[in-house]
Amino acid sequence: MKDLLTKTLHTAQDKFSAQYAEVRAQKLSKTMFTMKEGRVEAAKQGIENGVAIRVLVNGAWGFASVGSLDADVLVDAVSDACSMAKAASSRLKNPIKLAQAKPVEDHVEAQSKQKPSEISIEEKIKTASATTQVTLKWDKRIKSCTVDYLDLAGTSYFANSEGTYIEQDKLYVWTKATASAMQSGVFTFSREEIGSTAGYEVFDVETPEAVGERLAKRAVKQLAAKAPKGGVFPVVLGPNVVGVFVHEAFGHLAEADLALAGGVLVDNMGKKIASDLVTFYDDGTIGGAFGSFRYDDEGTPAQKTLLIKDGVVEGLMHNRETAHKFNAQPTGNARAEDFRVEPIIRMRNTYMAPRDHTFDELVEGVKHGYFFKSFRGGQANLDGTFQVGIQEAYEIVNGEIGEPIRNASLSGNTLETLLKVDAVGKDFQLNAGRCGKGQTAFIGDGGPHIRVSEVTVGGSA
Amino acid sequence: MAALSKEAMLNLAEKAVKVALQKGASEAEAFVYDGKATSVGIERGQITKTSRIVDRGVGIRVQVHSAIGFAYTNIVSDSAAVEDAAAKALAAARASKPDKDWKALPERKPYAAVTTMVDGEILALRSEDLVNLASRMLDAVAQADTRVFSVEGGAGAGYVSNAVANSNGVAAFDEGTVVECSLATLAKEGNTVTPICFEFNAERNLNVDPEWVGREAARLAVSALKTKRVETKTYNLVFSQFALQELLYYTLINAVKADSVERNQSPFKDKLGATVGSKCLTIVDDGLLAGGLRTGMFDAEGVPHQKTPVIEKGVLKNFLYDSYTANKQGRESTGNASRAGYLSTPSLEATNFRILSGDKSPEELLGEVDDGLMVSYLQGAHSSNPVSGEFSVVATPAWRIRKGEIEHASRGVMLAGNIFELLKNVSVVANNERKMGQLVAPWLLVENVKVIGK
Repeated sequence: MKDLLTKTLHTAQDKFSAQYAEVRAQKLSKTMFTMKEGRVEAAKQGIENGVAIRVLVNGAWGFASVGSLDADVLVDAVSDACSMAKAASSRLKNPIKLAQAKPVEDHVEAQSKQKPSEISIEEKIKTASATTQVTLKWDKRIKSCTVDYLDLAGTSYFANSEGTYIEQDKLYVWTKATASAMQSGVFTFSREEIGSTAGYEVFDVETPEAVGERLAKRAVKQLAAKAPKGGVFPVVLGPNVVGVFVHEAFGHLAEADLALAGGVLVDNMGKKIASDLVTFYDDGTIGGAFGSFRYDDEGTPAQKTLLIKDGVVEGLMHNRETAHKFNAQPTGNARAEDFRVEPIIRMRNTYMAPRDHTFDELVEGVKHGYFFKSFRGGQANLDGTFQVGIQEAYEIVNGEIGEPIRNASLSGNTLETLLKVDAVGKDFQLNAGRCGKGQTAFIGDGGPHIRVSEVTVGGSA
Repeated sequence: MAALSKEAMLNLAEKAVKVALQKGASEAEAFVYDGKATSVGIERGQITKTSRIVDRGVGIRVQVHSAIGFAYTNIVSDSAAVEDAAAKALAAARASKPDKDWKALPERKPYAAVTTMVDGEILALRSEDLVNLASRMLDAVAQADTRVFSVEGGAGAGYVSNAVANSNGVAAFDEGTVVECSLATLAKEGNTVTPICFEFNAERNLNVDPEWVGREAARLAVSALKTKRVETKTYNLVFSQFALQELLYYTLINAVKADSVERNQSPFKDKLGATVGSKCLTIVDDGLLAGGLRTGMFDAEGVPHQKTPVIEKGVLKNFLYDSYTANKQGRESTGNASRAGYLSTPSLEATNFRILSGDKSPEELLGEVDDGLMVSYLQGAHSSNPVSGEFSVVATPAWRIRKGEIEHASRGVMLAGNIFELLKNVSVVANNERKMGQLVAPWLLVENVKVIGK
């Protein structure tokens, strides 16, 4: 493989005088299925082999992707990429430059106790069936249960014109379970997502019993829930909601490409933008976590990157291009979903560091507000407006958890909200998720329980 | 890599079916996909990158003892890899459980003639031509207003062909082209930075208007500079196509899919023939729509595309079916099977989901709004409750309308309600239809939506 990739690199350098060239090959196999009410829609297996080529010619990027490992096809593709880059450079005012990187040679093997490739599809289907059974049998008001399963295993090969060559095993196990419940015209909906880079052993902890119970209980509980009052309230957020807030509302702003694209963080580097209690990391080194890996798709080692320390913006997430622009070091955040797409800046495991409060202490401080325990989805705009939809929430009345509420959401301006974090719990939880930014990335996010003195709560009552 | 010919695609599909049958499948289907996409990308005001992606592969679906298996490979030049995929599909089926509702793969049916979806001019585009399209868009922004910054965008051209064959006699080939320009902008003035605004134009033949995209993206950003708060109350809202696409995808479109209905995930169960929307609302799912972004002769199972009435003057007429859901309920497929290329089995999806235009121009529609808001870009629509239709989203920005005129923008405006109630409160349908992914729609005026100001 090394020879094939090196030969392709030489074409870019010798024939097209590319300033920089990289070749990324993958050999992957996947197993997937969707189960609805215990019925397997189709068990699926797939093979995806291909190569991505990226070159820098006259300061512009050229990218080509082909589903082939054939030497002639690769030479054609790299020639394509170089001549297209040349065409693109015709109107370039600020040529792209890359931060320096040390050449690396490495081979990274997956360390899992239970490789998904060594577990039969029958066994995987059995686990999903068990989750479905637990969920559907929990309560007769549960009307549907869908389980999606995916595992992915293989090797990626990376070589660049600076002498880096990395072979790295890839391994992901993921499942998402959703349930709906119905009672007298009220529909509710609940979801759980689990993901790991360790191996199939993740289901020894996240057993069908545990997952099914959480899923079913939430869907049923919401049936009796009422709609929240819209307005500005103090809230306590669970780790699951804190995670999506850190990821969506803050994390995307700290991706250097988006920061450069007009995000609000560029003018706030080194400044205090959040309460003293706020410390955020993006960490690619947590063993087994869904957003972890050894090297990113530009060959930069993953690291634990400090984003905010005690309320002060410390750093951004970089690839080699943005690191050069900011005169910073690449942080290992360049990730590509597969050989079809180019690497872009993506989060890994993004979380808030815990402090010292208990959950009860957080709730005690709220006279009238809400406890948002679990999210349904979240989104943010570069101007710092965010929205997080909530799937499980409760009223807080006089310092105590009260009635469940449904279909709530919270919204606000990220920076204003970060200043209003007035207590941070001592617990910690990391969740697996997927993030869409044109491409899908497997990520982790999390934190402790926290309290925010004011956010806008959306509701219809 | 040159695109595969029609003959090569069909041969590959038919061969894959044959191999799967030889290996013991009771039924087999192959879907061959070949796609080539070329694009140039804009980042921070300049063209910085280009890309060419060639992706092809075959997906094989088999049935053994009523259990379904599927496998795909992107190595199509090697017949051993295709055989291996067929073997894997069979292994997957044997590992799976029988599905008592499985009847059969679809049978061969005649296809309606569709205006050709292949434009030679798009096929002939070189990267220099795409650089030119993108440059025209950037120039239009620069000429429109110096306060506007082009954040990202680009121009792209694509060609996709697919072939479907199955053991019931289906053997079909279709191909199409698409060209697209898009631009995300923001405006800066003093310390004010607007939210990102976005405009695009996608067509099946080479009549995109990059200058229009640039001008509109600039105009929207500038119009978001002047902001004021809006008070919390109910408003009459004008929904642009961007907002409709976001809101309807997760709710209404989901609710008319036969599998959602059957699985109690739709409020439309037992509602066929009932009034579910305002009288001025008529919706069809039209897989044959001339120039539609989802138009083609057949769906992902080789079933002919058709025009299916979904809602007629507010009355629910039909649900959308693929062959599995249709067989299960003793009906005909409406040609709504969809796939993510060769990588997936068919799933139910709308084709061109078209809200038919009314007779009011957008200006006339605005003229009917005394005190309201215009919403385009929504955050959080994907967190809507897909079953009940309840949503709670943020419009960033929303524009305040007074006496028929847009007065100012407002940020972080939260809208809450239920999409199915909202459909009943549509009072005016404009005539400015445009295509947006699978949605084809004009602006809608909806009365009495709860808004939480900031």
